[in-house]
Amino acid sequence: MTGGSAAGGMRPVSRYDAIVIGGGHNGLVCAAYLARAGRRTLVLERRPMVGGAAVTEEIFPGFKFSVFSYVVSLLRPEIIRDLDLPAHGLHILPLESTVTPLDTGDYLGSWGDADESRRELVRHSPRDAEAAVIFGRLMHHMAMAVKPILAMVPPDPASMAPSDLRSMLKLGGHMRGLGAERFHALYKLMTMSSADYLDEWYELDALKATKSASGIIGTFLGPRSPGSAYVLLHHYMGEIDGAFRAWGFQKGGTGAISESIAGAARSLGAEIRTDAAVARVLVKDGRATGVALANGDEISAPVVVSGLDPRRTFLELVDRDQLPSDIVAAVEQYKFRGSSGKVNLALSGLPDFTCLRNSDAALRVRAARGAVSISPSVDYLERAYDDAKYGEFSRHPYMDIVIPSMIDPGMAPPGKHVMSVFVQYAPYHLNGGWSDAKREAFGDAVVNTIARYAPNIKSLILGRQVLTPADVERITGLSEGNIFAGELALHQLFFLRPAAHWAKYATPIRGYWQCGAGTHPGGGIMGASGRLAALQIAGPAQRSPGKSR
Amino acid sequence: MSPAAFDAIVIGGGPNGLVAAAALGKAGRRVIVVERAEVLGGQSRTIEFAPGFRAPLTADAGWIPPSVVRGLGLSLPPSTPPDVSVTVAHDGHFLALPCDPARAAEVIRKYSTRDAGRWAPFAARLARLAGFLGEIYQRPAPDVDTTAFADLTSLLGLGRKFRALGREGMTDLLRVMPMSIQDLLDDEFECDALKAATGAGGVHNIRQGPRSGGTSFVLLHHLLGAPAGSIRARAWWSDGPDALCSAAEALARRHGATIRTGAEVARIIVKDDAVAGVALAGGEEISAPLVISTADPSRTLLEFVDPVWLDPDLMAAVRAIKYRGCTSVVLYAVDRLPAAPGLGAAEWSSVVTLTPTLEALERSYDPAKYRAASVDPHIELNAPTVRWPSLAPDGKHIVTAHVQYTPYHLDDGAWNDRRAQALGASVAGAIGRTIPGFADGVLHMRVLTPRELAMEWGLTEGALTQGEITLDQILFMRPVPGLGRHALPIDGLFLGGSGAHPGPGIPGGAGWLAARAAIASRAK
Repeated sequence: MTGGSAAGGMRPVSRYDAIVIGGGHNGLVCAAYLARAGRRTLVLERRPMVGGAAVTEEIFPGFKFSVFSYVVSLLRPEIIRDLDLPAHGLHILPLESTVTPLDTGDYLGSWGDADESRRELVRHSPRDAEAAVIFGRLMHHMAMAVKPILAMVPPDPASMAPSDLRSMLKLGGHMRGLGAERFHALYKLMTMSSADYLDEWYELDALKATKSASGIIGTFLGPRSPGSAYVLLHHYMGEIDGAFRAWGFQKGGTGAISESIAGAARSLGAEIRTDAAVARVLVKDGRATGVALANGDEISAPVVVSGLDPRRTFLELVDRDQLPSDIVAAVEQYKFRGSSGKVNLALSGLPDFTCLRNSDAALRVRAARGAVSISPSVDYLERAYDDAKYGEFSRHPYMDIVIPSMIDPGMAPPGKHVMSVFVQYAPYHLNGGWSDAKREAFGDAVVNTIARYAPNIKSLILGRQVLTPADVERITGLSEGNIFAGELALHQLFFLRPAAHWAKYATPIRGYWQCGAGTHPGGGIMGASGRLAALQIAGPAQRSPGKSR
Repeated sequence: MSPAAFDAIVIGGGPNGLVAAAALGKAGRRVIVVERAEVLGGQSRTIEFAPGFRAPLTADAGWIPPSVVRGLGLSLPPSTPPDVSVTVAHDGHFLALPCDPARAAEVIRKYSTRDAGRWAPFAARLARLAGFLGEIYQRPAPDVDTTAFADLTSLLGLGRKFRALGREGMTDLLRVMPMSIQDLLDDEFECDALKAATGAGGVHNIRQGPRSGGTSFVLLHHLLGAPAGSIRARAWWSDGPDALCSAAEALARRHGATIRTGAEVARIIVKDDAVAGVALAGGEEISAPLVISTADPSRTLLEFVDPVWLDPDLMAAVRAIKYRGCTSVVLYAVDRLPAAPGLGAAEWSSVVTLTPTLEALERSYDPAKYRAASVDPHIELNAPTVRWPSLAPDGKHIVTAHVQYTPYHLDDGAWNDRRAQALGASVAGAIGRTIPGFADGVLHMRVLTPRELAMEWGLTEGALTQGEITLDQILFMRPVPGLGRHALPIDGLFLGGSGAHPGPGIPGGAGWLAARAAIASRAK
């Protein structure tokens, strides 16, 4: 292929305008948007399949698992529209209910039908049922208040650049527009612990625990540590686009989401190569010129975008001496510390949860189609955290259990089931480090804890896959196995994600960009980072990459 | 008492109350201060806990905002800067960190050359960040509803003032405040003792551990007014722990203020949504159109004011204030200054912490999460008699133990005398394990659990802070969201204690701002 020598200047002739490193969902979204903007784009994925942490794999013959990320709700609607993802196979099956087994032997349910949920709550606490209505409304407004921020390139508050000042003013105006009550509520969510925040609303311990559980996911905080309330809000964002409950399964597993984005990218002209591990980014005179693959091949392009996390993007793909020392120091201090694990079980039948024994068959089936949350009390979650903060996995962890085969029968052989168990806490930095023995011990702790609520579970297990944060890191490449490519802690959000002055997807190396979840707005299958990065790179408002001051 | 003999009543004769009275008097208002105790001074007043032994709750002078000193024309009493910033128990001996960064670096070098090199810049960085807080704290809290747009956006980093203070520092402040003190210190240092000594400042008087978010802010808050290089200790008043109060009292009197001690307020009289005065416990009524309360928000609004005047949402917000008193103070009268390797007069006059690592500090916090007292509490010591020998008989000394975590609310029943004595004994035992022979030298002991602090100082849940100083309870959120400007929803009623912005450890800060707001409200 001939390249424009004039346009290329000193640079070698490139078949590509842009190379995206990493075929995770953000990388794919970024590539799709770049292709959509007319850029000849190449995606390079290390693994044999695209998707990163959103992959479907047949771990045991006939049993398919969403190996890592397993539910979806945060995928930005504008992305679904822009890339016409349904046409490429995006098909979300609603996950309608959550059942929390109580220590009393009873259960606390939250159902797809709002009235049914209210009646269920009244059964436990009429007061909380009242509060839930107002709380739901407030969280809706909170999510709405944050929504524009999710779709916004973070301004640099330390910058005098007109664009940053305009953006800060816009942000200030937005905050002011919320009015005092909602602004204060938002401020509380940004600064409080999820347990304290929920204490102001509810009395039912299991309800507070189940809700605050979403405030600890992917972070190394306990529900009583300030900062966890924000993560709570982060997980509510998905609810604003769905009717009542926007969490759901992708038909065929989360891998099918990645496939749909990949399909959209290809249809827009992007090229995707798997089994193509990138060894390093080629830099000449402070400018990215392409990448070198692990097999030695070199591919040149004037734009290189890393979908990997900040540590790999800044400290591994390029030489530190090509970067200013302040960003190196900032990225070294960026917190990953994966805190969760995953256990995937192939089951010969449905687990029998004792808390549902007195319920009719129909309700038990509905419960099995939803999530089971092992979060009987806030103290339970807090004690699970205590184990982890001193370097052990939780003896009795928080668990979010789903059985995708109940909604999507194709995931398991007839009559059999796949169970996905998200587990917290499992610290990446385990005392003595992770070993095969420790991994199995962790798996046993998980199964034994489930057995307290569903005694027949052990007899049903045909296959067990245990994934520690170390495994997540090894397989997906996410540093320290953090599922959000870096903790969603207040000091790592917005204009500080991944580092002050470098939150606008550019890097100090011209032509080298970042688009992973380690940038604003971060984790969850959201795709916003990939989209915003692509918009920064290709316009509409083309801005020259570089340090914003 | 003839009606309206006074223009204003100040409830509470601590630093904030006396500063408020001085400010009102200076503005020509006829003001009366009513203090429930027989002696002025609040938490800085000394109590005689054994014959001839008098101790204050805290020997920390805190930070007096320059704007208060200027505005009042207050002549500050002489103060003595600390030589030692903090001393920490470290395998069998004590490691003292001098305030002077160069000397501190020398001490640290014995343990880590890397840390030694990083110390001075780190101390300077903290001082700069605390300086930003100081700027925010000297003005009324921004308020999203009523304030100029600039006030709110200044929080977002747009304020010209902040830019003047340094754009980089501003970003650093926004990043550091929500961090856990453990993360902040782990990013810089490797020496456990150094991290423990510094980190303990991040959990001072709050029910959180060093791994909790926002504890870096708490350290900065308590750094205000500390001499350059000190990360814990502040200067003390040479003439005595209550010297500042005496100065404020003298100034208030000079401006014509009437001061009554032993006068406990029973309720605040409200007529037609406006303050009319106060009624004392004895039944006596004092009338005035302005009342500034330095009692905490709950006592002021839920005890002193008849609920009929209050909006239910406001009452709910006040009930939601996190007081979480978790500090006990144990006063020991000792026959001599306890000695230990590395522990001399200079160390005793400053902060001595017995908690050797951040993990030990975190572990001492854990039981408090489950509404129980620490099995192995975090103990900080100080000997006020080194600064002020006259507080004890000749040659004798007082050792004050600041003990965390001892929550006011316990799952297994309330605090009582038996538990208090047990706590005092176990604390003495713990001190003895680090300072051999300590218990033998103890002549008398007085244990002040959150229960005693609540009863004797009128503090809700025994919280010395009048409400934890955490990120969700500062600025426009203190005492409750939207009331950060000291005026309460009842006309003429203002909050001027440390439960109001800018909070505890800032004597006169809230009193001054409340008085200013009160004066402005009546000037119109």
